[in-house]
Amino acid sequence: MSQSLRWRLGATGALVALMTYLTIANFVPAETRHNHWWLPNQGIRLGLDLQGGIHWVLGAKLDVAIEHELDHLRGHLADQLTEEKITPSHLAIDGQHIVLELATTQDADKARTLAEDTRVLRVSKAEGTKLELELTAQWMKDVREKGMAQVLEVLRRRIEDPIQGIQDSVVTRQGEDRILVQIPGGQMDRARAREMLRVTGFLEFKIVQDQAPTEDLLRAKYKDGLPEGTVIIFEREKQSNRIVGAFLVKKTADLTGDYLSDARVSTDRTNRWIVSFSFNSEGAKIFSELTEKNVNRPLAIVLDNQVYSAPNIKERIGGQGQIEGRFTSQQAADLAVVLRSGSLAIPVAIEEERTVGPELGADSIRSGLRASIVAVLAVVVFATIYYRLSGVYASVALGANLFLLLGIMSMAGATLTLPGIAGLVLTVGMAIDANVIIFERIREELRSGRTPRAAVATGFNKARWTILDANITTLISAVVLFQYGTGPIKGFAVTLCIGILTSVFAAIVITRLLYDIWPGDRRVAELSI
Amino acid sequence: MKFMEVVPPGTNIDFIGKWKICVVISSAIILISLVAALPQVRGVKLGLDFAGGVEMLVRFPAGLKADEGMIRAAVSSAGAKDPAVVRFSEGENQDFLVRFQSETTGEKGELVDAIRDALTQQIGPAEIQRVDFVGPRVGKELRRDGLLAVGVSCIFILIYIAFRFSTRFAPGAVIALFHDIVITAGVFVLLGREFDLTVLAALLAILGYSLNDTIIVYDRIRENMAVHTKHDLAALLNLSVNQTLSRTLLTSGATMLAVLALLFLGGEVIRPFAMAMVIGIFVGTYSSIYIAAPTLLVLEERFAKEKGKKTAAAPKSGAKGGPKAARA
Repeated sequence: MSQSLRWRLGATGALVALMTYLTIANFVPAETRHNHWWLPNQGIRLGLDLQGGIHWVLGAKLDVAIEHELDHLRGHLADQLTEEKITPSHLAIDGQHIVLELATTQDADKARTLAEDTRVLRVSKAEGTKLELELTAQWMKDVREKGMAQVLEVLRRRIEDPIQGIQDSVVTRQGEDRILVQIPGGQMDRARAREMLRVTGFLEFKIVQDQAPTEDLLRAKYKDGLPEGTVIIFEREKQSNRIVGAFLVKKTADLTGDYLSDARVSTDRTNRWIVSFSFNSEGAKIFSELTEKNVNRPLAIVLDNQVYSAPNIKERIGGQGQIEGRFTSQQAADLAVVLRSGSLAIPVAIEEERTVGPELGADSIRSGLRASIVAVLAVVVFATIYYRLSGVYASVALGANLFLLLGIMSMAGATLTLPGIAGLVLTVGMAIDANVIIFERIREELRSGRTPRAAVATGFNKARWTILDANITTLISAVVLFQYGTGPIKGFAVTLCIGILTSVFAAIVITRLLYDIWPGDRRVAELSI
Repeated sequence: MKFMEVVPPGTNIDFIGKWKICVVISSAIILISLVAALPQVRGVKLGLDFAGGVEMLVRFPAGLKADEGMIRAAVSSAGAKDPAVVRFSEGENQDFLVRFQSETTGEKGELVDAIRDALTQQIGPAEIQRVDFVGPRVGKELRRDGLLAVGVSCIFILIYIAFRFSTRFAPGAVIALFHDIVITAGVFVLLGREFDLTVLAALLAILGYSLNDTIIVYDRIRENMAVHTKHDLAALLNLSVNQTLSRTLLTSGATMLAVLALLFLGGEVIRPFAMAMVIGIFVGTYSSIYIAAPTLLVLEERFAKEKGKKTAAAPKSGAKGGPKAARA
């Protein structure tokens, strides 16, 4: 064995051995891997289509953030105008604009200056005493950006909440207004996860002005209409959604969930599930003042405009409180998560969903594995019968190729999806393809009367370019697919890209190496091909 | 030395002589598929990924009496509009595929949960094994990205062809490429199969793969042109196709073996992909034998006519027409 052959054999052998070692990670449970330092730590990740799980692409309704901002600015403008002793005849929000009408052009000019002084509003239309205001482009962008950051933060806290104990969940931003949420493998029921997105989680505390069992009875007390600045809100029974109480409260909250520092599940004296919460110092101060002033009046605890409970204030309460509502332990736990995460002021809608049950995922793995094994066997049998020893070489190269492919994917922590398995099977076919090109060329050289040694050398030299050619075009397609594909299809592109590279390497380097070992420099009369 | 051979050396089948028949066959298939693709005739069926909507895989235990009609009724009663139901597979369980158009999976009430409850109440214990929902905005984007991916891929492969082949060979390669992709897509339309993301992935893979065999044949033609300068072109093309015939058949055969394993054993989800690959590999092999080489002949003859008798029919060897390198 020559020096250079020995070196090539060593290097190639080491590479294949290393990749085979890295592949082990996929066949050993994670726990065992962590306990043994000598085992590789990272394996190939299974896509959600294989391990089952929820895949959502959410769209955040950022227009709502703009509306909130406009509403806030409208209030600010109204205050400023009052200070200037100007009463607008009309001041309202219309879509993405504030529409303002004043008595005189003089007032209109004043209002215009006030609006422009905010630096975030600009006049989009002015007709006499009518003004139409909108957010400046920069501020609009800032508001959307802030809204997006807030949505992302809240969803992260809800889905990745440590107490929920969900492993490997993903909440990431995608593009301008999209969020990708992935919850692997049956860790959270779809309906529960859906609730986490749907619930705003806006907690308010309101002193009850008046109450009655139904709306009609409550309204009957106010024949001339409800007092200024009040609304009626309801308490409903959880299961039936039946109204069990109507409450008259002020429109604006006395205290909101923004001041919460924590929320936890616990049980009360009768062993019912409750959610207890505590305020931060500022919230505690407001709460104790509020309760001190309103002893013996009921306090409504309102979540997303729904009364959960309205206990009587018996004495001044400091920094803590609790929500009762005939919860199951699960409901109480979820509510605690929602309260801890803060309110989701901007609603999100599901724009794309790919949810796979774990059972179906397991089915896919089984059939994918079966197809892969049969594909490998079929190709190996074909090669060995047709090309004899050379076919065995091709099969060895194919085996090495698969370990290289799986090893690289494990090392990179790549994701294997069902189409990815299809890419793997395609790679198996294409790997043999490359060997066929080499072997047919060698045969041709043999037929034209070359010695086995010369035929092998010429065959490899001439086949090399054809193999590269043939694979470059497929690689181009695979790379483009990677660029434009999403989810499982991206998995296909990844497997195909890596597979093309490893199979070219296997054919040109490994099969060649095997020929150099046997027959190598020996003068054999015949090649087994 | 004896080899096991599918195509014995010295085989000389007259492929080129039949080019007119092949052109007629291919053109007919392309024409029929184009007509079939018209919305008035059959139309291109778009899968969920591109058309949008909701698709659910509903699983019932084996032995439970359940059929498409019962499921359709239950799903409709839960509020889904005009659901299409097909039996998906039967074995340990009964699986049904339910699809309907909807722009949401329920903003307030959960449609998916409502459907599961309705199925369980009216038929028996139902499990939702898969929910795929593509909203209108995402569907539009996937359509756009899909077309873009095919377009960009074509452009890059054409650039590659331009670099790799001389001006003489490039048009033939391009025609063979479009031939393969159009017929594969056409057969899919004719079979009434749906286009979804996995089929798109298969089409892109075919785009790259089908050129392989063409490259092998063309390289051989180039090589032969350098050697036999006085050969009549048709005979030379025939010789080249025959010489590379076993390689063309074996490489495609090897990949076909693997893809067939996928088609029969890979499960329902991956079947459309495997189907497209099988068709694509078959068409690609056919085209590199019957279409790619004759295209050269036709183009060459036209080229010779236009140039008059100056260049004659003999292929010129040199920088442009000759081989860039001696390749297999």
